[in-house]
Amino acid sequence: MSGIMTGFPSFDNLVSGLEPRKTYLLSGNKDSGKEDFVYKLTASALNREIVVVYVTTNRSNTDLIMDFSSKGLKLSQYLGTSMLILDDFIRSVSPQATDNTYTKVLNGPLDLTGLSVALSNVNNGFLKDGKTVLNVFDSISALLLYNNTVTMFRFLQFVCGRAKISGVTTLLMLDDEMHTPQVNETIKSLADSVITLKLDEGKRYFMVSGGAKEVLSWTSLQ
Amino acid sequence: MEKNSIKNDPVFGIGKLDEDLEGFPYNKLVLLSASPAVGNEVFGYQIIFNNLAHKNKVLLFLNRTSPQSYITEMKEYDFKPATDLVIIDSYSSVTGINATETPLNKMIANPYDGTEIKKKLLDELDKNYDVVVLDSLSLLIDSFDFDYVLSLIGAIKAKISTKKSSVVMLFTDWEYEQENVKKLFTAVNAQIDIKGVEKRVIFGQYFAVIKCDWVNKTSFSSALFKAIKPGGIKIYFPKILITGPTDAGKTSFIHSASKDAVSVDRLGGTIALDHGNLDLEGYKADLFGTPGQERFDPLLKLLGGEAIGVILIVDSSRPDQFPRAIEMLRKTETYGLPIVVVANKADLPNALPLEELREKLHLGKDAPLVATVAEDLSKIDPNEPTKLKEKGVREALMALFKQLT
Repeated sequence: MSGIMTGFPSFDNLVSGLEPRKTYLLSGNKDSGKEDFVYKLTASALNREIVVVYVTTNRSNTDLIMDFSSKGLKLSQYLGTSMLILDDFIRSVSPQATDNTYTKVLNGPLDLTGLSVALSNVNNGFLKDGKTVLNVFDSISALLLYNNTVTMFRFLQFVCGRAKISGVTTLLMLDDEMHTPQVNETIKSLADSVITLKLDEGKRYFMVSGGAKEVLSWTSLQ
Repeated sequence: MEKNSIKNDPVFGIGKLDEDLEGFPYNKLVLLSASPAVGNEVFGYQIIFNNLAHKNKVLLFLNRTSPQSYITEMKEYDFKPATDLVIIDSYSSVTGINATETPLNKMIANPYDGTEIKKKLLDELDKNYDVVVLDSLSLLIDSFDFDYVLSLIGAIKAKISTKKSSVVMLFTDWEYEQENVKKLFTAVNAQIDIKGVEKRVIFGQYFAVIKCDWVNKTSFSSALFKAIKPGGIKIYFPKILITGPTDAGKTSFIHSASKDAVSVDRLGGTIALDHGNLDLEGYKADLFGTPGQERFDPLLKLLGGEAIGVILIVDSSRPDQFPRAIEMLRKTETYGLPIVVVANKADLPNALPLEELREKLHLGKDAPLVATVAEDLSKIDPNEPTKLKEKGVREALMALFKQLT
């Protein structure tokens, strides 16, 4: 099985996209361009008929779709078929929110069991149809604000482990400025590979550590 | 469930559990221990809903989500609380949701204060709740530790020992230290595991009673289930085979039992299979029907594979077909599985009486044998398969489910 191309030629040429079954941590501060990276990766995966299960923890499914749209990425043709959103945010502002055709509404950041069960159910449905699946967590920083590190570690170890057994690739987004170095290191230890982004003088750069192809010096992301 | 029923003892509201555990007596602690990929929350919704419907007084300790989200979820399963549910809200203060103390909503001001939680919960237990649900125990373990939770369980146990109260605790086993988990299992009166049947993906879910100290049994059966929106927990049988000779009424049976049955047929005769989803009295099943004609016999082994129960349908007026019926059991390789024999067309003038039919089919005296007849033909759409009267279909299915659980 070939890698999941991110849509950034400089990244894909050096790293060959994301390896199937692996867990990736996408790390960087607020301005580093993590969202642009994930949005482009999502669009690239969907274009290649890869299913994306998108877990949103810091904005509603509606806002997420608008954010994609503001970057010129239209999701409408994929929603409900090859892209499903697990919305772990909306009930914190609208407790009566319910599912729609492309969104499973979850109970909020403390209900990690609910998130794990929903992810398992959704992944199972696609895997039974023989699909290649990418799980995106945008982001685990919001979950880390409400759950202690040990709890989060157990949770991520379980869901990433299950994803691996099932052949699913996982991308975890982490805003490393929000957490202590110790928390960042603990979470990094779960990943097979860490992609780090930074913004420097208006340009974006990446590094990749771990995995088959590492890029250990800052390289322009284009 | 009758909303205006007279107050009863606590129930699980899940038929098989109430049957196997002979109800849910007072002064007991029950642990619902789930795998993180399966979840146990729907069991909680169902227990609350059914006890409120029984006019039982129910308390929910909630730290997993907000009370509003919890009720929204319950309603999605069609569990609209019939009477007031009292909630101790140990969630809203964590997430900053604006919530205020009311007689039905007791706030925990600081959910990270174990002393406050313990005091508020134990004080509330003085108010004689029939059923108390804790959702979730795992979050208490994550927020504090096992020692705190074991001490809380000890205090709850002591408190309810003098009252008419029972407690259900929802626990997700996030691969905690096994020694601690064992202490938890030891501290409760009953343990029910909720897990997945899994290989690369989870292809089934089951619950199993691991222990129960008020029932004098050494082992309990387990049951596959599905959590259905709306409907809740349904015991699930993934494959029931419906077989029998040509024109005995297999397709009619499946279309009578299921609202969404489909048939692969030609000129009214099944040529590949019939399939239907069944939802009956807390049970869900997938029904697979075989063709009856001998030219399709090579398919029979394939169709019978992995079936867990059989309904053999015969035409009561065609004893000449009975050897073929027995042959079909052999060819589907389902001989020996739980079985119910349906004696269809029992109202035809030349139909054999049930006991004669039992003898000719070499059935034991205890083998379930159910008579069925067609609906009034004048009410039938000629473009649809003939339907059988509900009574016989229901009786046959329930007789099979009884054997399977």
